[in-house]
Amino acid sequence: MSDASGTFAAAAAWEIDDCWRRIGVQGDRSCPELETHLHCRNCPTFEDAARGLLDRPLSADYRAEWAAHFAGEKAGETDGDEALAAVVIFRIGEEWLALSTSVFEEVAEPRRVHSLPHRRNGIVRGIVNVRGELLVCISFATLLGIDKDAEVERRDRSLHFERLVVIGRANGRIAFSVHEVHGIHRFRPNALTAVPGTVGQAASAFTKTMLAWQGRSVGILDETRLLDAIDRSIA
Amino acid sequence: MLFLMFRLGRDRYVLDVEQVEEVLPFVTPTVLAGAPHGVVGAINYHGGPVPLLDLSLLALGRPSAAVLSTRIILIRYPVGEGETRRLGLVAERVIETLSRDPADFVPSGVEAGMPPYLGPVAADARGLIQLVRAEALLPPALRDILFRQLATSP
Repeated sequence: MSDASGTFAAAAAWEIDDCWRRIGVQGDRSCPELETHLHCRNCPTFEDAARGLLDRPLSADYRAEWAAHFAGEKAGETDGDEALAAVVIFRIGEEWLALSTSVFEEVAEPRRVHSLPHRRNGIVRGIVNVRGELLVCISFATLLGIDKDAEVERRDRSLHFERLVVIGRANGRIAFSVHEVHGIHRFRPNALTAVPGTVGQAASAFTKTMLAWQGRSVGILDETRLLDAIDRSIA
Repeated sequence: MLFLMFRLGRDRYVLDVEQVEEVLPFVTPTVLAGAPHGVVGAINYHGGPVPLLDLSLLALGRPSAAVLSTRIILIRYPVGEGETRRLGLVAERVIETLSRDPADFVPSGVEAGMPPYLGPVAADARGLIQLVRAEALLPPALRDILFRQLATSP
């Protein structure tokens, strides 16, 4: 803006004294403040310099661009009071799935599953100890018929985010392991699409609707049918 | 309780975040010709007009600097009977929030001589922080002019 120079004395003086490069951790480390702050990032001088970046003058383009942005419709908003639904998104094998937060109890570190005698088949993998409570651990991959070994394709990932997920149902809690938990995702009901009739995916029997998320289609599982199926399988 | 901090000149002021709807960048306002002192125009906020008040202009007599840290605080301004209208406040250095106990704010002792929108003050290591009451920011006469003008404009 052309009038910025006259109105704000500090605007002219936002040139940064980069003391962290001269006497700080990127310089010769001779700054006496390093004794107390250990690293420049803890130092109030560094903080003030960072704040000073916000005292740079605004360009007319910036203001006009934002004016146009806020003049438009609010992104993704149809009705301000419309209720948001929330799901937890997780991955098993190649499939990204979502389950309503209402049945989610806990996401825990993966731990050893103790197998049960005579229950080597089926969906029950054994029991796990989650903070002192013994829970039945089931295999979601088997229940939903997902190819668990598809994860091998993701070997390029340096980190594994395997987690144990605990969900609640009417008669107790139950655990299953997933390969990755993305976290809670909130969406408006209009973000949902119906499950395509031709879908060949194994999980489709339990999939209620599809949710577009980060360029993927995530199947939202029907918690009632899922919990019923679990109850039948472990009875 | 959380407060949103801004500056008028060198001094720090806070607003209760309960009243704040959003903090916007300093967008270019549409000038309302003949608007009263302190009103710098109106902005188009998702299709609806929101009047814009420059706090520096009201309190210090000079407009807020056009720098990145100058932002618009969009507040819900009470207009009686539980109704609120949006009002934009242009303020400098809207870059921090502050968590304080509301009981820390005590009368400054010179309220009689102050403008009506200034409230009690709280102290910290760097000086005093003044609480601004958004309800009192517009004198009733100005409020009537402003919202009537916007309501009747096409």
